[in-house]
Amino acid sequence: MTLHQAPVGTAVTVVDISAHPRAQRLAEVGLRPGALVAVLRRTSGDGRLLGLGPARMAVDRTTATALLVAPATVPTS
Amino acid sequence: MTESCHATTRGLPAEEDGGRVVALVGTSNVGKSTLFNSLCGARQSIGNWPGTTVEVARADWRPPSSARTDRPLRLLDLPGTASLAPVSPDEELTRDLLVEAPPGSRPDVVVAVVDAAHLARSLYLVAQLRERSQRLVVAVTMADVAARRGLGVDADALARAVAVPVVVVDPRRRDSSSCLGGAVLEAMARPAPAPRTRAATDLDPDDPFAEDDERFGWVQQVLEAAVEHRGDGGPTWTDRIDRVVTAPVLGPLVFLAVMWAVFQVTTAVAAPLQDALDGLVSGPVTAGASALLGLLGLGGSAIEGFVLDGLIAGVGMLLTFVPLMALMFGLLAVLESSGYLARAAVVTDRTMRAVGLPGRAFLPLVVGFGCNVPAISATRVLPDSRQRLLTSMLVPFTGCSARLAVFALVGATFFGPNAGTVVFGMYLASILLVVGVGLLLRGTLWRTLGADPLVIDLPPYHLPLPRQVALVTWSRVRAFLHTAGGIIVVTVAAVWVLSAVPAPGASGSVGEVPVEDSLYAASAETLAPVFAPAGFGDWHATSALMVGFVAKEAVISSWAQTYATEEPTDTATPGALGDAVQADFAASSGGHTTAAVLAFLVFLLAYTPCVATLAALRREVGTRWMLTSVGLSLSVAWLLAVAVFQVGRLIA
Repeated sequence: MTLHQAPVGTAVTVVDISAHPRAQRLAEVGLRPGALVAVLRRTSGDGRLLGLGPARMAVDRTTATALLVAPATVPTS
Repeated sequence: MTESCHATTRGLPAEEDGGRVVALVGTSNVGKSTLFNSLCGARQSIGNWPGTTVEVARADWRPPSSARTDRPLRLLDLPGTASLAPVSPDEELTRDLLVEAPPGSRPDVVVAVVDAAHLARSLYLVAQLRERSQRLVVAVTMADVAARRGLGVDADALARAVAVPVVVVDPRRRDSSSCLGGAVLEAMARPAPAPRTRAATDLDPDDPFAEDDERFGWVQQVLEAAVEHRGDGGPTWTDRIDRVVTAPVLGPLVFLAVMWAVFQVTTAVAAPLQDALDGLVSGPVTAGASALLGLLGLGGSAIEGFVLDGLIAGVGMLLTFVPLMALMFGLLAVLESSGYLARAAVVTDRTMRAVGLPGRAFLPLVVGFGCNVPAISATRVLPDSRQRLLTSMLVPFTGCSARLAVFALVGATFFGPNAGTVVFGMYLASILLVVGVGLLLRGTLWRTLGADPLVIDLPPYHLPLPRQVALVTWSRVRAFLHTAGGIIVVTVAAVWVLSAVPAPGASGSVGEVPVEDSLYAASAETLAPVFAPAGFGDWHATSALMVGFVAKEAVISSWAQTYATEEPTDTATPGALGDAVQADFAASSGGHTTAAVLAFLVFLLAYTPCVATLAALRREVGTRWMLTSVGLSLSVAWLLAVAVFQVGRLIA
């Protein structure tokens, strides 16, 4: 599923980022395959507020639909 | 150092040569600029890097432990970047100076600023920096925030893992200068450390992320060695605030409230301060100068006129911008350092993207409806210099409050009770102009811009430090006066000279000539035919537009002067000026008065707002782009005015 389809309040593992036009930068800021991401909230403009460990990051709808994720087994904080 | 002279972006410019240069680098929101300010205080100069529109703060820094006889260190606050693979011209500058520059033109020591609470994110850049032989010191900020979240960073373990000196700094405390200074001077005395050994066996040449994977592996090792988890801090205040501030409906409401406050501060709060300064200059200062000139036997002479109405009036106009700019810079510093600006970018992103602009462009455009001058400076909120440039070209099309006064007077003169509708229409036209010209520029000059989807780090909220805000505000106001002063004073003085010198063939001496016989009227008359296709090719109207190029505030008084009538005290009752203007518009438009007036209003809205805006543009984007803006505004204004008149003439 895409990050956009992942239910808010769940944790996901990033599977593939290569469909994103700035995949390189995503990987550099930690949104990389294997990363554990908490889908915290829907933002204004239908983006997502994400938690990567203690860091918070907002991505827009385009980014959320471009990232492939899988449900993570580890519960979020 | 001849290599660095021709291409200033590829290395340190000549002025930095000879001294020892220390560069601060780091990801955005790690507290890099806060650290810079606490190290250098008010001694800094903020300005564009030579040959670019990328802002770099520079300052001389004398760490407490350095010898008295030593030259101070040159400290640079380089644009924030998450990695050395740039995605904007700003990040490119950082890369150029650290990597692309010839070895002799690179900083002597690089200080990588990392955020203890978000160490994983900060260390990627350090991993890259450690891939080359470079004197490096790691400065850890926000250790207190990390501690509150149950994270302990062991500086010694971090130093061993990264194999460079590590200093924990607290920009809120004065002793960070001595701690960091000692480490920097020590690093400088030693040879550059060898690059870190890379796990080269894992590098797969076909995998575009192989290098990143290796770096992240290194970052993980460093984290395991240096960070201690003392349990979960639970939901933070930042999370609670963000639940509201980035939410689908509440977020935009909060954003609008913040924009309303910014608009109020830059208009209602600034206005009395501006009036007070204006009163001071036009009252006591002018009277004093006049008395002084009288004592020197120059009373009533052309020199008195030049000094009082040219120079002092010019300086007065410049000074009235000081409170406005100070408020704007202060607000920007508060919005930025509090962390709200990143949230505003999230909230506005989708709406602004629909018209081809980045979300953060909303702020300068809103401010522009109050005054264009601080709005140009507010383009600094955009992190990409191409976006700043595009937004700077659009700000002059926002109808500032000085234009409103002219719209109101012209509206009342020609449309009577419908004046309000006309003024409202001008605001609507202003928004359409910003969107239209924005799309035009995006389709031509900036075709590749803004395609990037938004991915933005949301830093924890901070209470802005008053001292830091004051420092940044003062440095920026000083820089504004420095760049803008010349243009504004020279232009106001030049207008005085034009209106004081008689046109060739006219009678009267310098300073004594009636307006209609001056060089100024003669130039207006020469220029007037240009506006004939727009229906207002009359020298009175043209001269009003010429004054409007300098300052829209002066349009009405100067317009009245050309008819030798009194300036109307109330824009709702245009009086004698109204009658005279009506007669002239009827004549110049061949009876299609309404079409000509609307064309005139559209021209007034779209052409260059004032010389102070140009001064601000010159400071932010350079002389070339300032002239581009003049050309763009004048062409758009003329074409639209002609279109409005020609179409209007056919309809009415």
